[in-house]
Amino acid sequence: MSASQSAVRSRAEAVKVSRTFDWLICFTLFFVVLGGYHIHYMLTGGDWDFWTDWKDRRLWVTVAPIVSITFPAAVQAVLWWRYRLPFGAVLCILGLLLGEWVNRYMNFWGWTYFPVNFCFPSNLMPGAIVIDVILMLTNSMTVTAVLGGMAWGLLFYPGNWPVIAPLHVPVEYNGMMMTLADLQGYHYVRTGTPEYIRMVEKGTLRTFGKDVAPVSAFFSAFVSILIYFLWHFFGKWFGGTSFTQSS
Amino acid sequence: MAATTESVRADAAEAPLLNKKNLILGSLVYVVFYAWVRWYEGIYGWSAGLDSFAPEFETYWMNFLYIEFVLEVATAGILWGYIWKTRDRKVMSITPREELRRHFTHWTWLVMYAFAIYYGASYFTEQDGTWHQTIVRDTDFTPSHIIEFYLSYPIYIITGGAAFLYAKTRLPTYQQGLHLQYMVAVVGPFMILPNVGLNEWGHTFWFMEELFVAPLHYGFVFFGWAALGVMGVVNTEVAAIAKLLKKDLA
Repeated sequence: MSASQSAVRSRAEAVKVSRTFDWLICFTLFFVVLGGYHIHYMLTGGDWDFWTDWKDRRLWVTVAPIVSITFPAAVQAVLWWRYRLPFGAVLCILGLLLGEWVNRYMNFWGWTYFPVNFCFPSNLMPGAIVIDVILMLTNSMTVTAVLGGMAWGLLFYPGNWPVIAPLHVPVEYNGMMMTLADLQGYHYVRTGTPEYIRMVEKGTLRTFGKDVAPVSAFFSAFVSILIYFLWHFFGKWFGGTSFTQSS
Repeated sequence: MAATTESVRADAAEAPLLNKKNLILGSLVYVVFYAWVRWYEGIYGWSAGLDSFAPEFETYWMNFLYIEFVLEVATAGILWGYIWKTRDRKVMSITPREELRRHFTHWTWLVMYAFAIYYGASYFTEQDGTWHQTIVRDTDFTPSHIIEFYLSYPIYIITGGAAFLYAKTRLPTYQQGLHLQYMVAVVGPFMILPNVGLNEWGHTFWFMEELFVAPLHYGFVFFGWAALGVMGVVNTEVAAIAKLLKKDLA
């Protein structure tokens, strides 16, 4: 067989081989990205994502979008710019949510017995859909970073609002005013995470009073834009096919 | 469709391009083994894993640790040694069809790597969060760490190393040097294991509680990014496979 000959013997076999590789590649890409993204997200924003009594109006809204736009930007940089596949961000978020939901059910509930309505993950899907659609329609990294990154930050809180709102209603408990989510935290004691570690609505400059969530979302959107730029180029590098020289 | 079926059937006598048995069997090994590990955690985590000074802790957890250390070193030595020892010394002269077959075997290894990364970086790492945020640690070798750091991480290191070695020793695509992004995808997650040293040092001398977003954990984050190197591997593989398929039909 000469070097110019094909490895397959018919066009039909070429199609079959190609489709089989597609499945193997999709599976591997999905789960490896899931693993890398999940360990990144759980260790940079995880505490706000684990527990409802951490899901506040200020730091959760600020931190979660900033640290979660990373992998979507990097994967988009390969899937769109090399293959014109417009679902890099959705792929990342589907992976992350699968990893999180399996964990919250099997381990947070199944091993340490926290109810799922206390430890469900944040919803990042609205931002992912919007940022993918913006990239597909504009075919521009800059527009996606600015408009998509902005949308990523701004949509996070509204996207989670239907789930978290019932847990943010005020309750009075033993003479103290708190949210229902705080009450969950009091009842489900995490001995390894005492109250002094919890970072919820810290800070004294509450100039904007009731506008805590919008201000936080706006700041988060601003930083998300910058992080998108940075991680787009990270993604380009990670998608490289360079070899080191043999000695 | 009829033409497709006939032409593919004609090749049935030779070895299949993709050995599906290996793919399914390998996948089952990871899934069944980790299901058993999770069962073990569920039973002996609470009953024997809360007090490292208790005799039952030594029985059910420290002995587990010693056994896994031995098995991991032996597995890595035998597997990597076998792949290296049986390397193809005339790799550049294989036929295109044999090369395609080896790409399939290589992807079988990469699928196993995907399983291993998922369990290590996602399943058992976040599980560690809920365990340590719930249970006060009194040792570096907690039930969660014995599974996460010293079982699931070595397993993905062994699997990733095997995939990389297979590619390097059997595929012409990887003979022009060391593939940078492939090395990053394998060596980066490998570095998470040595980074355990920083983690344990910090928890021992700094604070015993578990705050997952603490800067002490950022080493894991940095090396976790390296998993994105798989995109470079995918790009290289897509180009190589497309080249094999687009040549003139035999």
